[in-house]
Amino acid sequence: MRRLALATLAMLLCVSPVLAERLVSQLSTDLIEITSSYDGERITFFGSIEPAAGAEQRFVEGPFHVVIVVTGPAQARVARQKTRNFGIWINTDQVVFDRFPSYFQVLSSGRLLDITSPTTLAVENILPEAQPTVQDEAGWWKSSVFGRELVRLMTQKGFFGLSESGVQFLSNTTYAARLTLPSDAPPGSYLASTYIFRDGEIVARRAEGFAVRKTGFERFLAVSATQQPFVYGIACVAIALFTGWLGGVIFRR
Amino acid sequence: MQIYLPIAELSVNLFFLIGIGGAVGFLSGLFGVGGGFLLTPLLIFSGVPASVAVASVTGQVVAASTSGALSHYRRGGIDMHLAMYLVLSGILGAFGGVAAFSILRALGQLDLFIALGFLVLLGSVGTLMMIESVNSIVKQRRGVVVRERQAHQHNWIHGLPWRVRFKKSRLYISVLPVLGIGTIIGFLGSLLGVGGGFIMVPALVYLLRVPGNMVIGTSLLQVVAMMGATTILHAVQSQSVDILLAFCLMIGGVAGAQFGASANKYLRGEQLRALLAILVLAVAIRFGLSLVLTPTDVFSMAVIGPGGAR
Repeated sequence: MRRLALATLAMLLCVSPVLAERLVSQLSTDLIEITSSYDGERITFFGSIEPAAGAEQRFVEGPFHVVIVVTGPAQARVARQKTRNFGIWINTDQVVFDRFPSYFQVLSSGRLLDITSPTTLAVENILPEAQPTVQDEAGWWKSSVFGRELVRLMTQKGFFGLSESGVQFLSNTTYAARLTLPSDAPPGSYLASTYIFRDGEIVARRAEGFAVRKTGFERFLAVSATQQPFVYGIACVAIALFTGWLGGVIFRR
Repeated sequence: MQIYLPIAELSVNLFFLIGIGGAVGFLSGLFGVGGGFLLTPLLIFSGVPASVAVASVTGQVVAASTSGALSHYRRGGIDMHLAMYLVLSGILGAFGGVAAFSILRALGQLDLFIALGFLVLLGSVGTLMMIESVNSIVKQRRGVVVRERQAHQHNWIHGLPWRVRFKKSRLYISVLPVLGIGTIIGFLGSLLGVGGGFIMVPALVYLLRVPGNMVIGTSLLQVVAMMGATTILHAVQSQSVDILLAFCLMIGGVAGAQFGASANKYLRGEQLRALLAILVLAVAIRFGLSLVLTPTDVFSMAVIGPGGAR
């Protein structure tokens, strides 16, 4: 017991000077509202690295590196493969990923491999390629092949990405980063995790959330389409009939 | 100007939507077809998810056919009795079509069946129209008098049981082919997002021998009622009707159709049909190529779930 206490004390002594920094950060917005003219939104991340509360030193010493990981709401996604059968290309194989992030962008202040080791990147789940979780029913090999393809497709669509010059240092300890959320990024809650690295080790971290949601008329339409589908359908038909009739009246057909 | 489509969950240029609505409306006014067979593929090719495109175009087809149906109704060009049979069987077919739509989407084969359906349907209709119009153009060049087919000629269809008298069309025929045509068009129309006027009109003319002054009006009324029901079914079943998308297309379509209808006067019937045949065949070939050519990417992805449009 005493040995354990000593070991803990020793570890604390070792660790505490390393974790003497803290991160003060702020998002430019915590709610992105989708209105009829919504065409994506730019988010700015600000942050400053400061001495931890209660730490003895009055300033922090770098050089620091910043990595920001922005994750979107999880969705069930399916990846499908086409093969040629009887001269026609048909989807013949698929793997379902139950909880796959709909959005995954990594911004960093330098090359990730210069910032830290591949092990840390893997443990902290920082790389876009590390996203697919293995699906039992599909088997390890197949799900890793399809997962890789899914990540590639998401990257092509702009949902996944890595920008190794995405974070700019304004001074030795303050940084800013910009991210443009595309208009087809799904609504939901997003998580921005910021990691501060020094000499390949994480010295501070912080997670902040922001929400993307439809408001006003767009929200009304989306909610009625899912909760009152029958009324919504009748409204669609009524609008169609009215528009058609009006067109006939205006143009005297 | 970008506009955000709340169901498709993407933002599209408003003028692009009204533009393709108008262009397709112009062609539909010119040729007297609904235009769904052009609009659905155009939307799919421009990045709108296939399920949203199909479901929203059904709403647009209702609007595009309403003004025509109304004007035919005023002129007395609709056989209500015949239309009732077609509509009821059409709605029955639409139930099947929407159910098949959901199953195929879950299986990941929706795009394949939409492409196959358009290929077979448009390919065969386009080829038939092409042959017919080229024949009549050639005959006219040679100076042969083209005789209209006789409306009251009987064929095997007139020998079927359960005959019903359709007074306005002056027909006394079995209800079986009528219900059959309605069901098939309801099924295909709801699966592919087309009104089916381009199958309905030839079917009424050549199979049932409905007189020419009743054909267009009855077919239009059937399209309005059946596609109206299909829109509601899609809204309930797949929740992929985008009212904003449909409305933008409607505005363009209704306006474009008027210009198309006036341009109609400058072209002759056979020429019109030949042009329409070329258009129909072009869409069919486009779908055919997408099936046969090696795709740029053999992998594709989709979201699963009620809002799963992509």
